[in-house]
Amino acid sequence: MNDQWTDRLSEYVDGELANGERGALEAHLATCAACRGAVAELRQVVARARSLEDRAPQTDLWSGVAKRIGAGQVVDIRSRRFSFNVPQLIAASIALVLLSGGGMWVALRRPATPSGTRIVTPRPDDFTMNASADRQATRIWTGRTDAAIADLQEDLQRNEGRLDTATVRVVRENLALIDRAIGQARAALDADPGNAYLNLHLADTMRRKLELLRRINAIAAAQS
Amino acid sequence: MLTTIAAAVLATLAPMQGETDTTIAVPAGASLSVNNFGGAIVIHTWTQNRVKVHAEHGSRGSIEASLVGTTLTIKAGSRHGSPSVVDFDITVPAEMALNLSGTYTEIEVNGSKAAITAETVDGSIDVRGGSGNIMLNSVQGSVTLADATGRIEVNSINESVELSNVSGQIKAETTNGDVTLWGIKSSSVEATTINGDVEYEGTITDAGTYTFTSHNGDIQISIPEGANVTLTVATANGDIDASFPLPFRGTREKHRYTFKLGTGSARMEAESFQGDIELRRPAEMREHQKEKEKDKDHEMEQEEP
Repeated sequence: MNDQWTDRLSEYVDGELANGERGALEAHLATCAACRGAVAELRQVVARARSLEDRAPQTDLWSGVAKRIGAGQVVDIRSRRFSFNVPQLIAASIALVLLSGGGMWVALRRPATPSGTRIVTPRPDDFTMNASADRQATRIWTGRTDAAIADLQEDLQRNEGRLDTATVRVVRENLALIDRAIGQARAALDADPGNAYLNLHLADTMRRKLELLRRINAIAAAQS
Repeated sequence: MLTTIAAAVLATLAPMQGETDTTIAVPAGASLSVNNFGGAIVIHTWTQNRVKVHAEHGSRGSIEASLVGTTLTIKAGSRHGSPSVVDFDITVPAEMALNLSGTYTEIEVNGSKAAITAETVDGSIDVRGGSGNIMLNSVQGSVTLADATGRIEVNSINESVELSNVSGQIKAETTNGDVTLWGIKSSSVEATTINGDVEYEGTITDAGTYTFTSHNGDIQISIPEGANVTLTVATANGDIDASFPLPFRGTREKHRYTFKLGTGSARMEAESFQGDIELRRPAEMREHQKEKEKDKDHEMEQEEP
């Protein structure tokens, strides 16, 4: 996992991406298992952090930490808001499991209302794509997904003979059902190319087709 | 040594007039694996550390069982190579993990307190009980799960999926059918279908995440009074209807709206391309359920000669 979205996943999980960016990232997620896995991990970290008891550790760790990083610059870290990259948050999730009784609350606790200094990765303030750029972006990711689907459909054609004819019929009917849904989503997105919901819906529906094909191919492969 | 002897003893169980009955002692913590090409796998539980197997099969059929390590494996065999149809009725320790699979196989589990994996192509899966990792998959059959807790993944392709009185991390998915979730206690729920309705009645826990999606169907969600949830609802061609006031949070996109209830701590997404999104109070959902059951009973009465 090392693509243009890797460093944006924590902002996505925090709901901080602009609509256009969010739609594009969600479309990417539909075709990138690594990023989907990272997002799931991040959500678990966030849920876990939120569920931690809001109490001070028995020993105040912060004074020791502050000494090591330079005395005299101690600020109230609890009033700050932090943005972590993916490896940091995954490491934090492991630390949370180990330290959920105490010290990590200092680092991950968030204020009820954001205030004070905010440390974030620099990014363009406005991410508004024009319709043409939106259509181009959609074409790129749907093209990749279409190619993956085509490969799996070829596999299915080779494997169909191993399946019962009734099962093949049911699978074809369900694939046709998904194809109709994809067609409707594509048409809606073509009319409104920057729409985040439609991008997401199309991506999710295409993901469903990929997963169905993978599952049926696995079942067929298991039949000897 | 003991394992080798057990495996040898259990290699093939002699059928008597198309039926096999045997009871096998298993160590504490043992798991059961059953593979049956066609027929049924019905599991009951008891408190003894023994597995009682009753199997009905054709005169050419046979049952193979082996205990290797802590895994008891039971398979339907055939003396002439072609797979046979067997109806298994198996009683196991309640804490025994279950791995059940088949092709033309109906699977039923009652009273388990353990992890369950069940997979079939053409058959339904009906599980009552279960704890820990629970994965249920059918292609052509419906899947129902009740009274279970743990990390749950329930999947069909061409039929409905129904969960009731279930707690834990939940993922429920089908392509051509409804997804119905009742009496759910969870901070993580994902329910999705292409051609069907989605219903959710259960807790909305602070900091929880809830996702409900359909392409062609309606989505009906119970929102308890006092729930703290940021709710994003989206529909391309349907309506959004709530039986209580929805405080608007300030993000309104085309087709997509966000509302904040209470502190907005939990996150919920409800999206249907063609269908409606309906937000109801729990009492209304229960009333709606009663009406549906009445309608179903009425339909069944009319179908009867």
